[in-house]
Amino acid sequence: MIEQIKFERFTAFEDLTIPFSKGINIFIGENGTGKTHILKAIYSACDVSKTQKSLAEKVARVFLPSEEQIGRLVKRKKASTTGSFEVVRSTDAKQRSLSIKLSLSNHTKDALKAKVLGTLKLWQDLPIEAAYIPVKDMMANAPGFRSLYNLRNIHFEEVYADILDRAFLGSLKGQPDQARKNLLTILQRSMDGKVIFKNEEFFLKNKQGELEFTLLAEGIRKLGLLWVLIQNGTLLNGSVLLWDEPETNLNPKLIRTVVEILIALQRIGVQIFLSTHNYSILKEFDLQTGDTDEIFYVSLFRDESGDVKFSRTNNYLDLAPNSIDETYGSFIDREITKSLGNLGK
Amino acid sequence: MKIVADGFEFFFEGAKDVFIFDEKDPKKSTFHGAPMKGVDIVAVFPDQYIFIEIKDYTAEADQYDEAKAADTAELMAVCDKRKWLKNYLKYKFRDTYLYRHAEDKVDKEIHYLCLLTFDNALCSTMAKSLRKELPVGRNRRWVRELAKSCHVLNVVQWNKNFPKWQVAVV
Repeated sequence: MIEQIKFERFTAFEDLTIPFSKGINIFIGENGTGKTHILKAIYSACDVSKTQKSLAEKVARVFLPSEEQIGRLVKRKKASTTGSFEVVRSTDAKQRSLSIKLSLSNHTKDALKAKVLGTLKLWQDLPIEAAYIPVKDMMANAPGFRSLYNLRNIHFEEVYADILDRAFLGSLKGQPDQARKNLLTILQRSMDGKVIFKNEEFFLKNKQGELEFTLLAEGIRKLGLLWVLIQNGTLLNGSVLLWDEPETNLNPKLIRTVVEILIALQRIGVQIFLSTHNYSILKEFDLQTGDTDEIFYVSLFRDESGDVKFSRTNNYLDLAPNSIDETYGSFIDREITKSLGNLGK
Repeated sequence: MKIVADGFEFFFEGAKDVFIFDEKDPKKSTFHGAPMKGVDIVAVFPDQYIFIEIKDYTAEADQYDEAKAADTAELMAVCDKRKWLKNYLKYKFRDTYLYRHAEDKVDKEIHYLCLLTFDNALCSTMAKSLRKELPVGRNRRWVRELAKSCHVLNVVQWNKNFPKWQVAVV
């Protein structure tokens, strides 16, 4: 499991160390507090454990700074400065913590010149499966995208190509275990079919026939992607799922199903990281999790000096600051001012 | 003026009078004494009456959220509970209004504030239903409003909006 991440002068962060839950980690916070950057940093670290590639190059392609000049990811200062992030994980096999750290200067242009430190050999000897679901759906745009991405220098963060690679993985040998079968059944019921692919094109197959993903609502495509990742064994015990704003284009009724699936994945040992701006997502987790579930709600906010800080809790009602509920609070404030004026003020 | 009700202590700056409306003690001048429901507190200001109802649902808030329901039967139970709470708040206000009418004390605009231990989103949902059903505003044939406004809020939001009417858990 991913134990913690530590940032020093990296993108939005001056000095921040966040310990994680081994189950579900939900990040909330206003725009610009670095939620997506945390997910991308964790994902990059996980991905290189499997691909054996350089963390610096992966980070450059996942964050996609201008002209892939990796030094642009160092927190902006007037003077020359260095920045870093370090991901720490525990492993059952070694009974110890492993770490990988990217360290660079704001003048570093070429990713190859950035330093990658830590327990690198063990990090790659013990690969960790990870899937990053970006905000925009890619399932409908799959045909030709991966070959285009590999052949041409197109300006897409690599997470978009990577999630298609995960989706196109062949099925695991043998039947899925009962827990995975149950999850697949829930998703099949919600999207009314199963997902198949032909010639890099995804279809929803049901009694009516095969419906191409371009004709499906985006919310259903998201359920389809989740179905594929469970069915092909990407999401198994020990895997890491990172999902940026799962609520995007999802009908609130489907949010209930998505949260049900995510909680069930956590119960079979998948570590989950989400960012959200959505009340329904938070409330569903609050209502559907039980005492044995592992969950952290992490609130990112800027302190008086503008630095990003965090608070965390395993009880939704204790989450503060809560930028999402504060929005509802501001509606209440404005209604009161509108009808009571200065009374009581 | 200070008053304690249902485990909450209120300070009302600028109030002409504040009293427990559903007072059970017959020795007190504000004894309610009628077979009617009543809000917890009435605060009297120069140009307004404020009706206040308090409900501490700390441990039970989920019972009022339909998303918690696992099946149709549970959904019906949640809807029933939320409906019960909404009706509870509605009829408390209406009976209080009727009682105050009989006292000939509905001569100022009336604002209804419900202090609940819900999050802001649930408070908003409850306020919307309650306003519709009280109802807030003027009916076509009415010459006066039952309630000028109705708000549902938690302690944090109360203290933020009413710095002169601070509330604290006793």
